[in-house]
Amino acid sequence: MTRGRVTLVGFLIVVALALAALGADLLPLGSPTEISKDQALRGPTAAEPFGMDDLGRSVLSRVIHAYRVSLGVAIAAALLALLIGGPLGLVAGYAEGVPDQLIMRPLDVLMAFPAILLAIALMSVFGTGALLVAVALAVVYTPIVARVVRAAVLATKVELYVDGARALGASVPRLLLSHIVPNAATPVLVQASVLMAIGILIEAALSFLGVGVRPPTPSLGLMLADGRSFMLQAPWMVIFPGLAIMLAVLGFNMLADGLRDWLDPASGGR
Amino acid sequence: MSSPWVYAARRLLLAVPLLFGMSVLIFGLMRLVPGDPAVAVLGYKATPEGIRALREAFHLDEPLPTQYLRWLAGALRGDLGVDFRQNEPIGRMILDRLPVTLELTLLATLGAALLGIPLGVLGGARRGSVADRTALAVGLLGVSIPDFWLGIMLILGFALGVGLFPSGGWVPISESLLENLWHLALPALTLAIGRAAVLGRLTRAAVLDVVQRGFVQFARAKGLAERAVLFRHVLPNAAIPIVTVLGLQVGYMLGGAIVVEMIFTLPGVGRMTLDAVLERNYPVVQSTVLVIGAMFMLVNLVTDILYGVIDPRVRRR
Repeated sequence: MTRGRVTLVGFLIVVALALAALGADLLPLGSPTEISKDQALRGPTAAEPFGMDDLGRSVLSRVIHAYRVSLGVAIAAALLALLIGGPLGLVAGYAEGVPDQLIMRPLDVLMAFPAILLAIALMSVFGTGALLVAVALAVVYTPIVARVVRAAVLATKVELYVDGARALGASVPRLLLSHIVPNAATPVLVQASVLMAIGILIEAALSFLGVGVRPPTPSLGLMLADGRSFMLQAPWMVIFPGLAIMLAVLGFNMLADGLRDWLDPASGGR
Repeated sequence: MSSPWVYAARRLLLAVPLLFGMSVLIFGLMRLVPGDPAVAVLGYKATPEGIRALREAFHLDEPLPTQYLRWLAGALRGDLGVDFRQNEPIGRMILDRLPVTLELTLLATLGAALLGIPLGVLGGARRGSVADRTALAVGLLGVSIPDFWLGIMLILGFALGVGLFPSGGWVPISESLLENLWHLALPALTLAIGRAAVLGRLTRAAVLDVVQRGFVQFARAKGLAERAVLFRHVLPNAAIPIVTVLGLQVGYMLGGAIVVEMIFTLPGVGRMTLDAVLERNYPVVQSTVLVIGAMFMLVNLVTDILYGVIDPRVRRR
């Protein structure tokens, strides 16, 4: 696939999943929560292509409803991290010296843990719930965002046009907002797409391990955890939620790849 | 200034405050747990006497800085305290489980290198070919696959389906090497595939980068066979970034081991951490998170130093 097509396919996957999640109640799907014992563990049919779970609930309907949590948590976490990490990186990169050290060294400590371990440790303190997963992810992301923004600011602020604006008497906030931030925006955009992919993966992993989203909220990770007990009788209970996670992650990864090549042609993807 | 030893020493010195920061963060985090930690640890079995005994054993009545220093001093001596539930020293419990996690990580690293590097070289050496496009697609799928789901699928296919491998459990090497490897095959593969994809993508980029250089074009121009160009000129130069990324992936696997050990019921440090989190056994969580975090940092540190030793340009930064 060419660069443009990878980006387009990634973009289409992401948009399609987001629309499906938002409009889940308008789609002709079974109820994601209604229990019907006589439908329990029924295999895929034309009407229910993903089959039914152990309580007779539609797996397809649950997968689509679960995307709300997946995407919602990932978006909230990325936005929160941008809101906190962005300004921190901006100040660190622009000021350098002592403020830079004061901001970046504590963030290094957060980066010194494997992401999933830090997320699990945070959840062990926070307790479970979708909102708390988003907060834990934002903590994991903040140093990543701060580093990306800081690097972009360091690279931009030595540009001649920034010197020019400064020489013309532009104030520091004006310099930052109208000259530096717009140029830092592109790497942040790529990073945001990568963070969405990681966020969907980590939310699913945390929920799967029992420290993420709380039942009965439909979550892809929880569905996998439930399905494990019925793996032999009803493999569709583990196959489809997993494929659903993969599709969403793939979409954001393709989007990130495409954006990266598009914004930085030298990185040579093709 | 540019001696590899000076560089290594400076890196090591930088690791000390980082490790200190990590210990403060973990300690502080565990003290953020709402309510009385003694009650949280004891759970429904909490009696007034039990709570008092636990508070005393963990010195919970002392001011926080004193508690922290006591914990840190113990940790530096290798004494991580006693697990109140199992009545066993936590340090001992971690040491018992460490070989499982280390062997899993080692095998997975080997698998990731054996799968990922050839994939990337194949793609990068012939840009745009069918092999390259396949490598790109496999790489993209590989980085998008959730490892916990991959583990379940491997169990479904190779353990429950064909019956080639056990679906979980652990046999120590001391008992039988063959049995040991047989039990670790699927867990190591689970952990390796995603990392192989990352490694493959980076190897491809590194090879592509080197292939465009003047000395490679010169080697080709002087009539050197394509194979010789690849092995003598391209790969040695592409090796530096590949080693670095491999090192970073080893660190990642230490985190991934938590999930994989849970799925395949392996008695490693990752599973110990997760069990402790689910049981709200905070003294154990505090210790295992510190140990895994320290190992992660150590792997990254070694990678960093290795990178500096191989590539003198890095030391000047």
